[in-house]
Amino acid sequence: MMSLAHFLMKFRERIRARYEEYLVITIETLASAIIGFSIGALVLYILGFNPAKIYFILFSKGLSNPNYLLSKSTPIMLTGLAFAIPMLAGVFNIGGEGQLYIGALISLIVVTSTHNPALGILAGMVAGAALGTFKAVLKVYRGVNEVIAAIMLNWVMYFLILYLLTEKLYNPQIPHESIPVPEDARLGKIPTPIGDIRLIFFIAVIASLIIYYILYYTNIGYMLRVAGLSPKTAKYAGFNPNLAIIYSMALGGAMAGLGGSLLLIGYVYSIDTTMSTLFGLGFTGIGVALLGRNNPIGIIFSAIFFSMLIIGGEMIELLAGAPPELADVLTGVIVIALALPYMYRMLISYMRIRRLIKK
Amino acid sequence: MSEEKRRAVEMLNISKIYPDGVVALRDVNLTVYEGEIHGLLGENGAGKTTLMRILYGEIKPTKGKIRLFGRKVSFHGPWDAIRHGIGMVYQHFTLVPTFTVLENLHLSFTSVEKKMSESMIRRNAEKLMKEIGFEVPLDAIVEDLPIGVQQRAEILKILLRKAKILILDEPTSVLTPIETRELFKTLKKLKEKGITIIFITHKLREVKEITDRVTVLRKGRLVGTVETANVSEIDLARMMVGREVFLKISKKPAKVGRKVLETVNLWVKDDRGLDAVRGVSLDLYEGEILGIAGVQGNGQKELVEAIAGIRPIIKGRIIVDNVDVTNKSTVERYRLGLAYVPDSRLVGLVFDMSLVENTTLTNLHKVLTKTKRILWDKASEIAVKVVKELDIIAPSLGAPVKYLSGGNQQKVMVGREIVREPKIFIVAEPTHGLDVGATEFIRKTLISLRDKDKAILLVSTDLDEIMQLSDRIAVMYEGKIVAIGKAEEFSVERLGLLMGGVKA
Ligand SMILES: Nc1ncnc2c1ncn2[C@@H]1O[C@H](COP(=O)(O)OP(=O)(O)O)[C@@H](O)[C@H]1O
Ligand SMILES: [Mg+2]
Repeated sequence: MMSLAHFLMKFRERIRARYEEYLVITIETLASAIIGFSIGALVLYILGFNPAKIYFILFSKGLSNPNYLLSKSTPIMLTGLAFAIPMLAGVFNIGGEGQLYIGALISLIVVTSTHNPALGILAGMVAGAALGTFKAVLKVYRGVNEVIAAIMLNWVMYFLILYLLTEKLYNPQIPHESIPVPEDARLGKIPTPIGDIRLIFFIAVIASLIIYYILYYTNIGYMLRVAGLSPKTAKYAGFNPNLAIIYSMALGGAMAGLGGSLLLIGYVYSIDTTMSTLFGLGFTGIGVALLGRNNPIGIIFSAIFFSMLIIGGEMIELLAGAPPELADVLTGVIVIALALPYMYRMLISYMRIRRLIKK
Repeated sequence: MSEEKRRAVEMLNISKIYPDGVVALRDVNLTVYEGEIHGLLGENGAGKTTLMRILYGEIKPTKGKIRLFGRKVSFHGPWDAIRHGIGMVYQHFTLVPTFTVLENLHLSFTSVEKKMSESMIRRNAEKLMKEIGFEVPLDAIVEDLPIGVQQRAEILKILLRKAKILILDEPTSVLTPIETRELFKTLKKLKEKGITIIFITHKLREVKEITDRVTVLRKGRLVGTVETANVSEIDLARMMVGREVFLKISKKPAKVGRKVLETVNLWVKDDRGLDAVRGVSLDLYEGEILGIAGVQGNGQKELVEAIAGIRPIIKGRIIVDNVDVTNKSTVERYRLGLAYVPDSRLVGLVFDMSLVENTTLTNLHKVLTKTKRILWDKASEIAVKVVKELDIIAPSLGAPVKYLSGGNQQKVMVGREIVREPKIFIVAEPTHGLDVGATEFIRKTLISLRDKDKAILLVSTDLDEIMQLSDRIAVMYEGKIVAIGKAEEFSVERLGLLMGGVKA
């Protein structure tokens, strides 16, 4: 009896403690979205479009095809994780782009030779993790800034793949495409109440949940978060902050690599030689992670939201002739608006100090 | 005094309250004559740096006036002070480490005189160095230079801007004894050239050696200004430390048990790579509190970090409960019965994490399953125990600890160690920044732990605390234990002298 009462008390306490936090986060996120859409409307109005009509197209078309929506959300969900996990450990990983490329490339090579999708996916994850670890090791042992390393390596990966696609891995029948993933190794769709949905979406969701579990329910995740918030405290507790950096980059890289291989094996089946199937997915992941507040569960939803914006953005161009960059403008403004509460708090504390000093 | 001396600096009724409510200075007056070396003496937190940052225009006083050479001034920022001929060398230098000395000099002119070219600066610098008789390699990269030379570059930078008043904030704390001697030679040369120098220190010997007059601050208040020649080091120690009525805490006589911690000839370097702990050998027994007194920055922090395994040691051995832990990790040491409560809550706590997550920090192994899963229910139970045992007031177990008061945060750090039931507590500055009530609670807790046969190593710069709690006292100065003995053997004055580097 005692323990039950105790448990209930604790449970209530936990909810009450988190309740305010969650409420604030929800309000801030919604407010940022509203600000983003309002500014977007203003831009549209100035450009001579009817904002209501454009937004109607954006939402209705963006959400009209669940399979398309969720398939498109898959890679950016995973590159979102690739940014969020290192961020929690205090590392700025903008290398999701390159990690996604290498994941796609390696799984293409493995899957065409083994015809085994699981092996292909695994290889893609390992490749992404290896690239992430490499950057972490450079940072920890050689003091190389992770952002600069990522920018350089992103381009190295880009041109490496471009070279391999055009010189070695191209499809003899369709020279502007890579050799395709063998039919027997492709991942398909599974039936659901909202229609057939690609398997890769569910894999990505499961990956997000696993990451959530690792971050919040295992010692590695705990150490990683402690190190990210306060490296000195990590050292005091006997954790090695450098190890946290390496783990987080390995884990993040694995997620981006997974994104690349899922996209390839379960959706596009080949890469075109202009790289348009892959380009930008890593960078979009940064926005996804920011909107999802670096929380793996939040990232699932923000990836779907971003996917809607991307799809809707394409339709705006087709149906209303509005510039396709509108989707980019919207996402940009929303991400900036998300930073507003932080700025607002900084401003308030600054003013308070000013007032105290004047007194 | 026959000739009338000109007053270079007059600071009148200066008070400073920091935004977070800390009263750093209360009605302090300071007069510095032209061409003298004026010492500013006081313990840590006395307000020395604050007073000088006000003079340098970096922060504004809450109250009070400043006059320079008789004229009232009011600075909006250091650039104003620089234009009035004031220069300041901080405890931490402000040179760009990857630039050459000359580039740094050039950079420093951009805020005052934009049109100076690098070759003009080189010419002026070389001329000036010849006049003062010291040398700084102008084309060397700053970070490649020894600290003493970097400091000289910093001084050169200030003199080039035609400073008439030079402020040095604890300049010797980063220097080796030889570098200190060099610095003093330079300062004497500068004095001959008519430059007024304000020299901040807490070392009594240095005050006697270099200053003409000295102003003593204690806990934000002015104790007095005296001619250095007229006072002894003992007088200065008494002025600096003061005599205050202690809070009385009743204490049973110690029942000392077996030896549980030993360091043997320990050598440890600080973050800058200088020897901070130089051959410390200490024994700690069950049931006693060994207080380590000393002015901040004399190696205490490095010593306890080395014992906890957070900082690598250069030489020596550490033995915990008959086990040589010299090569063991922090976690292993904690598991052998060592507990460490660091001097800063920024180190001991993750402010953005909850109370539960923070109490888990050093109790992690207790709440892990074999598969390395964290049992948060069990972790909450530990947190509840900590909260109950130390009467912690917190909005909830799930709220970030940044919302707790300083006293309650300190209780979290102490409490999560107590529930582990370790044999040895290493506690650094346990009551720093706490109010009277919280201070008393923490001190009583430490005494009750001692009465339960725990061994306690207490590091504190607060002499009251050391006197009140310790069964034995050791004094650290420049990385060495300069005196150790029963608490009764130390008077406040003797401690003050020892802490100031005087044999007593
Ligand atoms: N920026 C600051 N904000 C709040 N409190 C401060 C700040 N700087 C110093 N203090 C506090 O003011 C007091 C005097 O500090 P300081 O002038 O640095 O002393 P000293 O240089 O004599 O050691 C201390 O209690 C210190 O904690
Ligand atoms: Mg100071």
